[in-house]
Amino acid sequence: MAELRVETVERAVEKGNWQRFRESDFFYSFKRSPVAIVSFAVVCILVLSAVFAPLIAPTNPFDPASLNLMNGFTPPMEPNAFTGESFFMGTDDQGRDVFSTILYGMRISLFVGAAAVLFAMTLGIVLGLVSGYFGGWTETIIMRIADVQLTFPSILVAMLIFGIAKGFTPVEYRDQMAIWVLILAIGLSDWVQFARVVRGATLVEKRKEYVAAARLIGRSPWAIMVKHILPNALSPVLVIATISLALAIIAEATLSFLGVGAPPTQPSLGTLIRIGQGFLFSGEWWILFFPACTLLALALSVNLLGDWLRDALNPRLR
Amino acid sequence: MLAFIIRRVGQSILVLLIVGLVAFSMFRFIGDPIDNMLGQERTMEDVERLRAQLGLDQPFPVQYFRFLEGAVQGNFGVSYRQGRPVAEIILERAPATLELALVSGIFAVVLGIALGVFTAIRRQGIGANVIMAASLIGVSLPTFLIGILLIYLFSVELGWLPSFGRGQTVMIGENWSTGFLTESGLKALILPAITLGLYQMTLIMRLVRSEMLEVLRQDYIRFARARGLKDRAVYFRHALKNTMVPVVTVIGLQIGSIIAFAIITETVFQWPGVGLLFINAIQFVDIPVMAAYLMLISVMFVGINLIVDILYVFIDPRLRVDRAGAH
Amino acid sequence: MLRTTTALLATALMAGTASAEEFRWAGQTDPQTMDPHAVSSAPVLGFLNNVYDGLVRMSKDMTLEPSLATSWEPIGAGEGWRFTLREGVTFHDGATFDADDVLFSYERASDETADVRSWFSPVTEVRVVDDFTVEFYTNAPNPLFPASIANWMMMDRGWAEANNATRPDKEAGNYATLNVNGTGAFMLADRQPGLTTTLVPNENWWDTAEHNITTATFTPIQNPATAVAALLSGDVDFVEPVPIQDAARLEATDGVNVIRGIETRTIMLGFSHEADTLKYGASAGAPNPFRDVRVREAVAKAINVDAILQTIWRGSAEPASQLVTPALSGYSATNAARPDYDPEAARALLAEAGYADGFGFGLMCPNDRYPNDEAVCQAITAMLAQVGIEAELNAMPVSNYWPELRADNFDMYLLGWSPGGSLDHEHPLRFLASTPNEEKRLGSWNFGGYSNARLDELLPMILAEIDPAARQAMLDEVTAIYQGEHAYVPLYVQPLVWGTRDNIELTQRPDNFFILRWVTVN
Repeated sequence: MAELRVETVERAVEKGNWQRFRESDFFYSFKRSPVAIVSFAVVCILVLSAVFAPLIAPTNPFDPASLNLMNGFTPPMEPNAFTGESFFMGTDDQGRDVFSTILYGMRISLFVGAAAVLFAMTLGIVLGLVSGYFGGWTETIIMRIADVQLTFPSILVAMLIFGIAKGFTPVEYRDQMAIWVLILAIGLSDWVQFARVVRGATLVEKRKEYVAAARLIGRSPWAIMVKHILPNALSPVLVIATISLALAIIAEATLSFLGVGAPPTQPSLGTLIRIGQGFLFSGEWWILFFPACTLLALALSVNLLGDWLRDALNPRLR
Repeated sequence: MLAFIIRRVGQSILVLLIVGLVAFSMFRFIGDPIDNMLGQERTMEDVERLRAQLGLDQPFPVQYFRFLEGAVQGNFGVSYRQGRPVAEIILERAPATLELALVSGIFAVVLGIALGVFTAIRRQGIGANVIMAASLIGVSLPTFLIGILLIYLFSVELGWLPSFGRGQTVMIGENWSTGFLTESGLKALILPAITLGLYQMTLIMRLVRSEMLEVLRQDYIRFARARGLKDRAVYFRHALKNTMVPVVTVIGLQIGSIIAFAIITETVFQWPGVGLLFINAIQFVDIPVMAAYLMLISVMFVGINLIVDILYVFIDPRLRVDRAGAH
Repeated sequence: MLRTTTALLATALMAGTASAEEFRWAGQTDPQTMDPHAVSSAPVLGFLNNVYDGLVRMSKDMTLEPSLATSWEPIGAGEGWRFTLREGVTFHDGATFDADDVLFSYERASDETADVRSWFSPVTEVRVVDDFTVEFYTNAPNPLFPASIANWMMMDRGWAEANNATRPDKEAGNYATLNVNGTGAFMLADRQPGLTTTLVPNENWWDTAEHNITTATFTPIQNPATAVAALLSGDVDFVEPVPIQDAARLEATDGVNVIRGIETRTIMLGFSHEADTLKYGASAGAPNPFRDVRVREAVAKAINVDAILQTIWRGSAEPASQLVTPALSGYSATNAARPDYDPEAARALLAEAGYADGFGFGLMCPNDRYPNDEAVCQAITAMLAQVGIEAELNAMPVSNYWPELRADNFDMYLLGWSPGGSLDHEHPLRFLASTPNEEKRLGSWNFGGYSNARLDELLPMILAEIDPAARQAMLDEVTAIYQGEHAYVPLYVQPLVWGTRDNIELTQRPDNFFILRWVTVN
């Protein structure tokens, strides 16, 4: 009996939260924006199909034993001349089903993008808080590096890091390492924006009385930073993170074009586009077209969502 | 004041040394130039001899020190691939990149501001919304793909514009080759400039739009309207002018991106600039060229940063305490 | 202060305003030097063949024909070769060509700074008999010597001395790196390394010109898609190579032609023959299975070369049975069969060798050296996985690739070989099949350390044998040995695909040298 009551109470609280969310300005603005709804739906569909790729994809393109080279270059929805097999989006030069390859490739692209943004965000928040809160030499050093990096092209930073990390990795791990190195490279080239925003917010907040009060009652600097200061900076951080995600996915594709991306046996969307562009003039348009469209849909809807988020979280623009 | 400048210059030099060290240590992992320099009939003896000649058998700190020693004197060594002084090669290639960067920069700024103003004024209009959405397509595709698609459409299918290179160039003085003075040179600029400038154009357009929206809400604009000023005067004389400070700052920061993404655009269009030179140098492991390129780029960026910082202090005395002290 | 140079005028031709005899072509690699002795690579030697001449040269069908030497004959019973030089030949600057220039070119090309000096390793002495007779003495009878120096180009002593370029300088470069003074059909009008190189006909050439070109401009275009676009849009008249996948599209396009041929380069798989353990993959550290000939044979049988040729190569490459192609001298016609594709037999062989459950290993592969190299390696990985051995594919740029191979960091690797110099079967035997021996300059590309005593014994005999039948018998025996031991798995012979505009006539030579003097613009 008592248990039941607790559950009901919890449910009530939950419902309360949900209710509050539904009645918030934020949700109202979402409901009123068809662009936001559509792009949110597209992102959800793409992310879910990437996550559940092994269940959705008809074949596993990462399993070399399952590939039949004779299936190569099969056009979409047409039977292959040798094997008679037919594929929804056709096959690439290795006889891999393009549809499955896109699903698996999107997993890698999304993973690299999300992990890189998460990494950049964590690094940026920590360095931003520290430099804003403590000031002095710590701040000088951190913001000096940030200044230089902001002017230094991110793609070059990523190439430099990729080159160095590759050197420290033994050849036998290079294929597996490539993805982690990509995350590191893209992440390290992207933390500055987060750091600047968080530092700005910290500078404003730390002068306020409640922070001084918290300090007086002996709360640790870290507790103050995380519990009191950080929440004030979360909205812009969220906006930057969304836009950075789209940028990171595209940066991964660009690095692939320059030959420093994911390996061809485990291709990302960027690697697929790099491979596909070699077949643009030869008439096998589907090898480029479908991965490029997927990338466009993904990046575009994330960008649109970020756009809407910025307007929605910026009350002055409403 | 002087102490501040001295300290900033010192910091900049330190940054350069670190960039140089990082860049130089990267070369050890990019590959071995020896195999590219010797043919298939080489013996191990040839390999060792050439390595010793190039100083590649020396310990890393020695190589780095030698490189710095030369770089300080403006001597970046001799390209492994071309057998010519690196400084000469870079000077020869620089005009191509600078002209491309200039044109794409102008394209981005002019079109970006125009469309930004338009979308801000017609905030609810269909045209403005279409432009806003379409502009996102441009930044949702990787640059190289946009370039290839432009070539496919305008060179191969329509045959309107050249698919690669600079077209006919003319020498101005001894060192500057320009594509601005011939028809083919101008035509050749169009596709690469669009490819390179698209991203910046979108960025500037969105920035101008949001700044304009912000400014148009301010009281003095309302007053100006109330005073009966024409819309055009309000928009351009007052509103746009006030959006320019952040826009100029962003343009400054984007110079770096333009130079960096020139690497990709130049590769796709076979544009004979320093970016293409750098990519070729990576493939050939032409260490002197790579080192010089990265050092020049860092000098340029660190220099821009330094100048901006010093200018800020001169322009806005309030910043002096903050920037000179804490930051 | 405007100044238009010839070079820039030439660049103007790029814009599509070319008149009939102006010829614009694009290749993937810029020749890195204009020095004919500094670098022994196909892009350099191929390009310089247009401006420099050798004593002998290759004809359109790859037979040897007179060039600056009108005739040549063996000295005595094989002590060397005597060359009679052509009279009345002048260099581009007007200087006369004579025996002293041959001696100088020998000194220059055999110097330790010259990349081509291995051509002269059998030569013990060069003797100038008179102004137009030169004798080359060799340490043993050397029937292939004239053919092996077909790309040895003649340079003027006076010009080189006056310009301080008497030795090649690869590191710092010298006058000959950027300038040309040959006797060839074309003269260098302008050279902008990495951008454009412009040639004009040599009016005083000693031979009759077949071409009708007035200006020829070369531009390197790395990105193959851009090169194809340039040909399609008419910005260039000729590109090489055409990516194999674009050949059909070009053939179907009006105004563009595709020329297909078979190259001299054989693509093969190599093994680690010496290493005790595997270095990569799931079984790293386990004993090296590739030391067992049955495992190597299983690999050969597991690979469906026909499928690779059918899909990736779109039917335009030929399967290979040995280290050279049928077009080259010394090809062993008695050993023309290659192992059939038979995955069942491959599995049986693996089981017999004790690997019924398979094993994991590493496959090293370049990704920018040979056309489709990475795609072929990927396909091989899939085929090997189907017989139970799992390759971990390590694909890398060639500037990382050779250092890894040299450092023995491989279990299996992909290699392409085109016999430079002599264009004979003996060439790959010497470099790939002979037991590595630094001192004798043998086996320098035999990374896996394959070794067979009988083969090592026969190789010097093959080199010195003058009687063609006896020589071929020995080559047949050697071929049977390395085929039987599956020292390498020869896969296919690379095709040669060039693209031209309709109004261009030219000749494709199997060594992938583009010879400008055979071009006619209609």
